[in-house]
Amino acid sequence: MIRRCCVAAFVLLASGAVTQAQIPRDTTPVVAKTSPADIATGKALYEANCSKCHGLDGGGSDGPSLQGVAQRIGDEAVGNIIRGGIPGTGMNGFGSLTVDETGQVVGYLRSLGNTADMEIAKGDPTKGKAVYDSSGCAGCHIISGEGGGVGPELTRVGAMRGPSYLRTTLLTPGAILPKEGGVMERGRFTQFLFVHVVTKDGRSVDGTRVYEDSFTIELKDATGRFHSFRKLDLCELKKEPGKSVMPSFKDTLSATQLDDLVAYLAGLKGAQ
Amino acid sequence: MKAIRYAVILLALGTSLPAFGQVPYERIVKAESEPANWLTYGGNYYDQRFSGLKQLTPQNVAGLKLAWAYQPSRPAGNVETSPIVVYGIMYVTEPPSTVTALDAHTGAKLWTWSPILKNVVAIGLFQTNRGVAVMDDRVYVATIDAHLVALDAKSGAVIWNTVVADNKMGYAITGPPLAFNGKIMIGTGGSEAAVRGLLDCYDAKTGKRLWRIWTVPLQGEPGSETWGDSVPAGGTTWNAGAYDPKLNLVYWGTGNPAPDWNGDARPGSNLYTCSLLAIDPDTGKVKWYFQFSPHETHDWDASEPPILFDGNINGKPRKLLGFANRNGFYYVLDRETGDFVAGVPYAKQTWAKGLDAKGQPIVLPDTGPTPEGNLVFPSITGAINWTSNSYSPLTKLFYVDAREMGSYFVKGTSTKWEMGKFPMGAGGERALSGDDAYGAIRALDATTGKMKWEFRLHSPSWVGTLATAGGLVFSGTDEGNFFALDAESGKPLWDIYLGSSLRSNPVTYAVDGKQYVFVTAGTTYFVFGLP
Repeated sequence: MIRRCCVAAFVLLASGAVTQAQIPRDTTPVVAKTSPADIATGKALYEANCSKCHGLDGGGSDGPSLQGVAQRIGDEAVGNIIRGGIPGTGMNGFGSLTVDETGQVVGYLRSLGNTADMEIAKGDPTKGKAVYDSSGCAGCHIISGEGGGVGPELTRVGAMRGPSYLRTTLLTPGAILPKEGGVMERGRFTQFLFVHVVTKDGRSVDGTRVYEDSFTIELKDATGRFHSFRKLDLCELKKEPGKSVMPSFKDTLSATQLDDLVAYLAGLKGAQ
Repeated sequence: MKAIRYAVILLALGTSLPAFGQVPYERIVKAESEPANWLTYGGNYYDQRFSGLKQLTPQNVAGLKLAWAYQPSRPAGNVETSPIVVYGIMYVTEPPSTVTALDAHTGAKLWTWSPILKNVVAIGLFQTNRGVAVMDDRVYVATIDAHLVALDAKSGAVIWNTVVADNKMGYAITGPPLAFNGKIMIGTGGSEAAVRGLLDCYDAKTGKRLWRIWTVPLQGEPGSETWGDSVPAGGTTWNAGAYDPKLNLVYWGTGNPAPDWNGDARPGSNLYTCSLLAIDPDTGKVKWYFQFSPHETHDWDASEPPILFDGNINGKPRKLLGFANRNGFYYVLDRETGDFVAGVPYAKQTWAKGLDAKGQPIVLPDTGPTPEGNLVFPSITGAINWTSNSYSPLTKLFYVDAREMGSYFVKGTSTKWEMGKFPMGAGGERALSGDDAYGAIRALDATTGKMKWEFRLHSPSWVGTLATAGGLVFSGTDEGNFFALDAESGKPLWDIYLGSSLRSNPVTYAVDGKQYVFVTAGTTYFVFGLP
């Protein structure tokens, strides 16, 4: 029986985290501060407050990529989100940051966006689409309604993940796994966790964890098939962070092909 | 129409029973002599959450089936209720402060009462209610806007409605009243709003306040020397208390000092926060207190319902009290004197080397909140939070739902606060991720705290435990499983997936000679029995 059919997708935003309180904020519009000293301070503030969810380089992790976000939606909008949060999501407000400090963080985000743009520019997105089509990616991933749903849906993957994250994932698919949006007290569990089980009657199944509770675990195998187990019926339950049902493209793609594929995926922003 | 329905129910219950819901104090004192009923929040005044019912056993519990389910029409928040069951009538609460009487055979709604709530202030707490008290022919409930209300058990009509404290200042109530011997006691929440903690006692007949204990002193009063120059705040009393009728003492825990995560402005032990108070209910005087976490900065309220039990220490019979604290330690105290008897960790804790001979923590250096965030176990929500433990006089085990989780405790830069407002900038936490946290039902030797067995849970739970004379322990998971374990061994015997987090203490009762088990999951109330 399938209790929760988890359509695998990169996590948009961790949902359900409860903030301690909505913090009233100074409504002065935030403007990016971009002097080298401001960017250095912004980097320190970013690493202390933001990197845990958005990645050290802003390329996304549990939360979405922030590379280029200020260029896309503007300093003030980014500043409002930093200071006010996004209610109903894992994005808490950081009202403890002053308007100037928020401007320094936005300045740093702008610099991260510029770095990412340079990395994307190394490849050709049109050629990257051809690599995507010829490498069998669509067998497991859906882009704009086309493809198979074994792995994460990629229609907006460029908004969620920066180029370096995408590159790492193509080379070592299990290297960086996001956390699901969990209930506050339950904590947030790793998504796409690779699990190996052996039942007491000798059946062995490898797959991605889609659901687990204290008594049962549900896996999705490499063909997209779901398997439900009672833990008491298993003689082995091995969680293997770092592994993935997705193959590595380290040896199957050339450096140029990889640059092209990253440029293609990084450009998938969905409907804005 | 209603009268006819009641008549039908009374007929169904048999004619030998007394009037609807009549529960004199003398009967509650001897709650164990009528295990079919669940007469107080914790089942009896000792708060043991132990039922003498034996129909469900390790041999037959796997046959449990759904008897009925009830869903409130408009649940506005987490359902965390623990019902009271009297003569086939179940009194539950619905979030935020509604009381509903259900037919315990069928789940049919008999009456419901809701307060009129406007502009409720609820800071640092969920708007919910954990249960009522029943005594004589009345049902007592406290509301999120800090009123205490007496309802007629037959109709839900209001008998009296008393304001306990000013909700606008941040006082709010989610916990159950304690009804005994003509008195109703109630505590409040609000530490995160920096209120001054209080514990009240009211006349059950009239709703007139008999006395009030302030849990923290005013500046200049005795005890204020434990607060430096700051204005004492916090020490709220937001969970259930227990009562020993023979000693005539009430036991009630207090919460954190305010503001919490930055204690720089309040050097000292901050009495009587994070303490257990033993109170003479006739005078309202504190007979003794025991502070578990002096100068607390991790939000580890000592608000868990205490469990009273009798045991042997070094061969001598003692009147004891077991307390699984949010700070990760299980304490055994002498409930006559407040003397420390034993104390050991029941969950991972990284803040204390241990407890000294008087039960005071030997605090390790660098375990407080820091501006960057300091990983300390247990988490901000504690090794247990508001849920109740249970004690079986048959196994002499204390069953706790332990939460194995840490937090990065963040110290804010501000020590300023204002009553009625969240202390901005005081700090908080980042929780450890779910993969690094888990829960466990643990059976502890009640007199020593030594673990006899554990049953691991996928994630830390918020359910509480129920022990029965049939040899079972019931509890649930945050993922949505309700289950029964063997009380002696911890072996899992039965489980069912209910589709949403369980957030209430299970209880058991019997009607027409048949034992049932109650729990809630999500916003649905479930009752299970053998077919």
